[in-house]
Amino acid sequence: MKSVMIEMHEIWLETMMAGFMSSGEKKEQLFDFAAIFFRHFTWLENELIEIGEAYNYDRNMMSVQAERLSDLLHRIIKKLGALDLQLESSPDRELAHRISSDIRYITGVMMKMKDERVEAFNRALKYPGVALSEEATKAFTRFLFEESYKEYELILIYNYLKAHSDDAYLNRIFQILIDESHFHFKSFGNMMAKMGILSVPRIVMKELYQVEDVVQFLKDGIEEELAAKEECRALSEAVGKDSAELAAFFDFINMQEDYHITLMKDALQHYTKKETDV
Amino acid sequence: MGEHMDANAQLIEHMMNPQNYGSIENADAQGIGKNPENGEKVLVHLKVKEEAGRPVIEDIKFQAIGCSTTVVAGSIITTEAKGTDFDRAEDIIAFTLGMLDRVPPEEAACSEMVAVALKAAMDVYTQRQIDPEYPVISYKIKNSCEIPEEKGEKQ
Repeated sequence: MKSVMIEMHEIWLETMMAGFMSSGEKKEQLFDFAAIFFRHFTWLENELIEIGEAYNYDRNMMSVQAERLSDLLHRIIKKLGALDLQLESSPDRELAHRISSDIRYITGVMMKMKDERVEAFNRALKYPGVALSEEATKAFTRFLFEESYKEYELILIYNYLKAHSDDAYLNRIFQILIDESHFHFKSFGNMMAKMGILSVPRIVMKELYQVEDVVQFLKDGIEEELAAKEECRALSEAVGKDSAELAAFFDFINMQEDYHITLMKDALQHYTKKETDV
Repeated sequence: MGEHMDANAQLIEHMMNPQNYGSIENADAQGIGKNPENGEKVLVHLKVKEEAGRPVIEDIKFQAIGCSTTVVAGSIITTEAKGTDFDRAEDIIAFTLGMLDRVPPEEAACSEMVAVALKAAMDVYTQRQIDPEYPVISYKIKNSCEIPEEKGEKQ
């Protein structure tokens, strides 16, 4: 079951990457499939917790670089087929059936997807329709590498916290933060693909999500969100001269961090109160 | 990240495809390089073989809690160190530490973190030849990531 969870983790990421590198209707379809795989990943994780089997979010380093979309889709289809076979021996027949059923439909759709040439890895460092200065390009490139990883890291951290918490109030907050990070990850991934620098985020170290002191984690997290606001402000300023559209987007992300800070403060207050009550 | 760093195509390559990132199952030694100011750290894993009585880095991987500059530094330094004997690896560490005053502070801190993590892992390997249970060593960096005037704890 543990290896199935790792593979589902990899398939979720690969399908996100396929979404980033594609265009048209299939792009959103791939993101929807990725979201389904992420939910299966959490089902599998929950199963491991229930049977008391130790696990973590380690996975293989992956390269998704491809000349054509079909190259990556074929790899995903092959992996899904292998995973489906592994599910045959899964003790949870209901879960295995649900996943298998989705795999069969999704692989069928993926096989029929119209192929296209991939430009997401061309290292062009040019944003379509925008003439960024060298300075703005550097700031933008740096931001995308840093923040796409950060959002992936946050998805895993909040997902792990949620998986190990039975507090409905906290889990509501964690789920909103997971959803927010999914949106940011998707936004930054799409931008990386347009810039020709798409890459899979690196593996997150265990100690980041296997949080021992949640109160300290939340306090540090609020500080990090404040730093992220400053990053967005600086980036908005850097790209503002060349693109009002990009500047407005990063101002929007900056303001969203306020929302995250409020949620984290709520979680901190709730957690501190809970600890005091015990 | 410094201005000249991400403008370089080779560095973009390391950011897109970091080399040797990850861990080694049954590693012979591990070492940590840590920035005490902000909690960032690098963990280096080593697989070592003895060739004519000299330890040689057969495989090397690293993991980082840090920024993309740290990942680039890890990718470059571990690529250099892979396949070399400990004497050559010491030269790589010395070269890296020797150039830190010529690069921007944030790059200096990141490169130092990787170099001292490699040094820590090699020291652990050497100690484990005497005591197989020797624990993982953590070395703190001297360069500051953010404020050039302030220095971190000494190693």
